[in-house]
Amino acid sequence: MIRSPRLFASHLLLIFVIGFSSSGNAVSASSPRRIVSLAPSITETVFALGFGNRLVGVTNHCDFPAEAKRLPKIGDFMSPSLEVIAAKEPDLVIGVVGATDPSKAREIERLGMKIALVSVSSVSEILSSFKQIAALLGDPDAGARLVEKIDVQFDKVKRRVAPAPRRSTLLAVGLRPLVAVGGKNFLDELITVAGGENIAGNASQPWLNLPDEYVVAKAPQVIIQAGMGSDTGRPMSQWSDLKSIPAVKERRIYSYNSDKILRPGPRIGEGLEEIARLIHPECFDAAKSAAAKGSRCESSRS
Amino acid sequence: MKVLDRKKLILVNSVLLVLLVISAAACSLLGPVRLDLSQALTHLFSGNTDAEILLRARLPRVLLGVAIGGGMATCGVVLQALLGNPLACPQMLGVSGGASLGGILGIIFFPNWLFPLAIGRLGEISWIPLAAFLGALLSMILVYRFSLFHGRLHPYHLLLSGVILNSFIAAIIMFLNSIVDFYQAQGLLFWLMGSLSTRAYLTVGFIWFYILVGFLWLWSKGLSLNLITLGEDAAMHLGVEPGALQRQVFIASSLMIGAMVSVSGMIGFVGLMVPHVMRLLIGSDHRLLLPASFLGGGIFLCWADTFARVLLAPAELPVGIVTAFFGGPFFLFLLYREGRRSLAL
Repeated sequence: MIRSPRLFASHLLLIFVIGFSSSGNAVSASSPRRIVSLAPSITETVFALGFGNRLVGVTNHCDFPAEAKRLPKIGDFMSPSLEVIAAKEPDLVIGVVGATDPSKAREIERLGMKIALVSVSSVSEILSSFKQIAALLGDPDAGARLVEKIDVQFDKVKRRVAPAPRRSTLLAVGLRPLVAVGGKNFLDELITVAGGENIAGNASQPWLNLPDEYVVAKAPQVIIQAGMGSDTGRPMSQWSDLKSIPAVKERRIYSYNSDKILRPGPRIGEGLEEIARLIHPECFDAAKSAAAKGSRCESSRS
Repeated sequence: MKVLDRKKLILVNSVLLVLLVISAAACSLLGPVRLDLSQALTHLFSGNTDAEILLRARLPRVLLGVAIGGGMATCGVVLQALLGNPLACPQMLGVSGGASLGGILGIIFFPNWLFPLAIGRLGEISWIPLAAFLGALLSMILVYRFSLFHGRLHPYHLLLSGVILNSFIAAIIMFLNSIVDFYQAQGLLFWLMGSLSTRAYLTVGFIWFYILVGFLWLWSKGLSLNLITLGEDAAMHLGVEPGALQRQVFIASSLMIGAMVSVSGMIGFVGLMVPHVMRLLIGSDHRLLLPASFLGGGIFLCWADTFARVLLAPAELPVGIVTAFFGGPFFLFLLYREGRRSLAL
């Protein structure tokens, strides 16, 4: 997305204002009661913090938890409707830096509504977005509890995959063209925590179009195809002609058709476990027989 | 009409052919990852990493690039002659828009359908190009119907109905883009930006065959195309039937464009620019211009795609960006030089 420097500056200013306000007033007496969410991950966060009943508007893409589907819609994730938002008379609108159009954010402010934009481009930013939103909603403790819950989930996965060797991984969100998770993307961090190594992790873009030859040269041991239409059958067929790739040889190619691992929201802990199960299935199967000595996960330590 | 200069024909085209072969070889060896040629050649059939990079990832792509570049340039030449308009290009006829819409509907409704016959050695073949080709055929029939009056194809109507159909289809595409899945929109980008990414030799072979047949047929019409650029009346006096020629050339080039767009999306600029560059370099005798443009288009797109793979490595740029970025200034330079020279005369 191309933005003018002025818009970008106002954007930064907004972040600053939010950061400031969220740290400034602790528990305000008048916490917002009518909230509009401008992103699926924000909707999930508000629900996870226990304030789902205060949402008066969500995007067309907000489908989790199930209750979110029944909430009034304010338009697309990329292009929400200003009038519909205004008609909901929200006392707080929450959007995402980079996804919410900064000029729209300014408009919302000009119309007299309070808007907050949170950053979610890394795991630490996602965790602090929970705290920011919880503070805005007047319940900082809920934010701390959510962060703690996710920390526990992360630790569990880390312990599981600790003995296993790192597996080089390609996480693709589109096949034609091949769009992969690059560096500076929270998914790159999740792959690392899950015991993998993102083959495109050195790229400076968060998402990038990879040429086939790069995948062949990097020889990933695991290929995960996420969020690609509805059909999850035959994940192998797209790659079957590239037999030199270990993931193809060892049939470690998985279709994972769910937004769970792609959304920078409160399900990242679960998403992390899903990714770890795909990268190191042996570490999770072996867990059934407790920490039986000589399990595959244990023995594959290099 | 001037007699065809056979010496010039052979000289120009053999130079271009040699350049094309060198370019194709060089582009197969260049890329974002280093290729060990000796490793690749010793394991050519057992399939180690280097062999797969060369044979599966690069070679089909380079071959496709040469075919598409050549085909686009050929279609550009004949459309510019046929419509008598220097701005005519393959993207202008509604055909390319129709192909994109077909492909996009394919992506939305059956994203992962594959032809069962080709899995394995030949690489994946999806239904999507077929859907795109059907879209191209439909839009070709539409444009044709709207420009055919009393058995004559009118260039003016052809141009306008093509442009209007294209913008109409662009609106549908943008509408679809705003309602599909966030991640599906990535696939739509492919049709809007164009890409030569392929590993399927079957597709490449099919496109080569198709484009060669179309090219040879159009080349055989070279003399008639020369005459029609003199004006329809003059052409008629010299024994060319303008109506028939226009119909045949339109159908042939539309079929070629449809097939090309269905495998590579809309790669712009090649079809507009290469014919003009070649005209400025070697003149506008179509018997010479057509093969020279085919070879020149192949060379240009082959290098453009290599730049697209290398410039931001490991990320791949849409090749259309590269064709416009390098082609545009070069074209303006040639145009300026030509303008100054003709004023000096």
